[in-house]
Amino acid sequence: MATRLQFENSCDVGVFSKLTNAYCLAAIGGSENFYSTFESELADVIPVVKTSIAGTRIIGRLCAGNKNGLLVPHNTTDQELQHLRNSLPDQVVVRRIEEKLSALGNCIACNDHVALTHTDLDKETEEIIADVLGVEVFRQTIAGNILVGSYCAFSNRGGLVHPHTSIEDLDELSTLLQVPLVAGTINRGSEVIAAGMTVNDWTAFCGSDTTATELSVIESVFKLREAQPSAIVDEMRKSLIDTCV
Amino acid sequence: MPRKPARHHRLLPVRPLTFSPFARSVARVATAYLVKHYMHNAVQQSAGDEFKEKLKIIGRHSESSEDEEFDGVVQADFAFFDPKPDDFHGVKTLLQSYLDNKQWDLSGFVDLILGQTTVGTVVKLEDDEDNGVFSIITALNLGRYKDHKCITELKEFLLNICHEKDKIGNLRSLLGDEAQKVGLLVSQCVVNLPPELLPPLYDALFDEISWATEDEPTEELRNSFRFKFYLVVSKFYKLNLQQKNANQKRSSSTDKDEAFLYIKPEDEILHKLSMWSFLFPLQTQQVATHELKNYQLTGIVMAVKAEDISSFRQQLHALINGS
Repeated sequence: MATRLQFENSCDVGVFSKLTNAYCLAAIGGSENFYSTFESELADVIPVVKTSIAGTRIIGRLCAGNKNGLLVPHNTTDQELQHLRNSLPDQVVVRRIEEKLSALGNCIACNDHVALTHTDLDKETEEIIADVLGVEVFRQTIAGNILVGSYCAFSNRGGLVHPHTSIEDLDELSTLLQVPLVAGTINRGSEVIAAGMTVNDWTAFCGSDTTATELSVIESVFKLREAQPSAIVDEMRKSLIDTCV
Repeated sequence: MPRKPARHHRLLPVRPLTFSPFARSVARVATAYLVKHYMHNAVQQSAGDEFKEKLKIIGRHSESSEDEEFDGVVQADFAFFDPKPDDFHGVKTLLQSYLDNKQWDLSGFVDLILGQTTVGTVVKLEDDEDNGVFSIITALNLGRYKDHKCITELKEFLLNICHEKDKIGNLRSLLGDEAQKVGLLVSQCVVNLPPELLPPLYDALFDEISWATEDEPTEELRNSFRFKFYLVVSKFYKLNLQQKNANQKRSSSTDKDEAFLYIKPEDEILHKLSMWSFLFPLQTQQVATHELKNYQLTGIVMAVKAEDISSFRQQLHALINGS
């Protein structure tokens, strides 16, 4: 199920949050609405942790992670690192990496099996990603943009990429990632997909400017509709026979 | 409807501009730091109507070479356009802090502005692929749009932040009974926009308003532009005396600090001409620079009578072009 929300009048929810299958990080904002929207959707299933990274609120763009681990940049403070280690489940490895490209969220896009990275990332960082996140790493560009983490968002079930991605690139990426991909927009025509939304295997959060069309594309490519238990009954209802005359 | 201004050649004087059937002027102001400018008076006869409109494009002459040396100076050709749905993101960014940090239907508000194509101007670069919006100016009739969620939220915000008892009655009547005659003047631009653009921009707005009172298709719409009052919500820097005294040591201050520092030059004139105004504190954090350490960013709401607008336009011309 996809939910629309805002962070203090900004529709860039992917900037202020990070959602994975094992945890969710939310930025510390002026009003509690942002955090409580995540809580109400996810509280029973995964922990929602309020944090800052390097003293900033743009946590979604600074860190990269999946259910196996979380990578934070070198300028993360010790207190923040400790807070994350304490609040996240034990099986999630939190690692601070020395990488000059410190906006890891913009440079790395990953799910639980595959990661796409910025072409100029250090070899050492690539090895750490493969090790901590347990993924296969590919250096790629998306529609000619090297910031792969900004221009695509993908989960284990599907992915959304920059609208100007060519069909050949889409096919190539889809083969690498082994998930269906679609080129589309978020937040009423914005091309920066990952800034406008955050997604995991059963739910997605999008900026409130996202149109109904964009939302339905997201729900279909990430297969979010089937994640609802009631959806099964609705599908079956057409074939259920009520009375037999 | 032709909206784009005429092509601009460096060697030829700026040609007269075309008018839309609504006889709206699209003022084309070419502002560049190193390009030769022209003084030009254009007298226009619009296609169907029979009135003459005087269009003044003011510029500076400068002796400079045609070489584009990038030493921190950018050449830009600004053009005025009608609001279009494409401008959504640019206008939304400009109006992000319009109501301080209150979470409200800003997207709906921007949609209202962009939906009103007859009155309102967006300043963009000529031939810009990025479609960046540099400035937005418009006037929205509070009565016409009173049922929109964004307008009700805006009214609620203004009534809540008004702590001056003598002004709240005035505010309530402007937002309530008199709403049909009140225009919300929304004007926002990027910080480094050349001030030479402001007089033509405001002239364009008030001219469009007066043309709309004649050219709109229905009587109701025509009346909706017969504003008696304009309401302005803005921000400026106010001298914080306590902070100043705290910051001052024994040494005497040589400069006499101004009580108010206006970010937008037109705010100073509007403030002087206003019927009434009140200040309200802002909750968003401000960056404290050295020069502004004694100043506090404060919000202001002003009400200006429509009769005073011609005086405002004159004073704005004098302020920008005289200084």
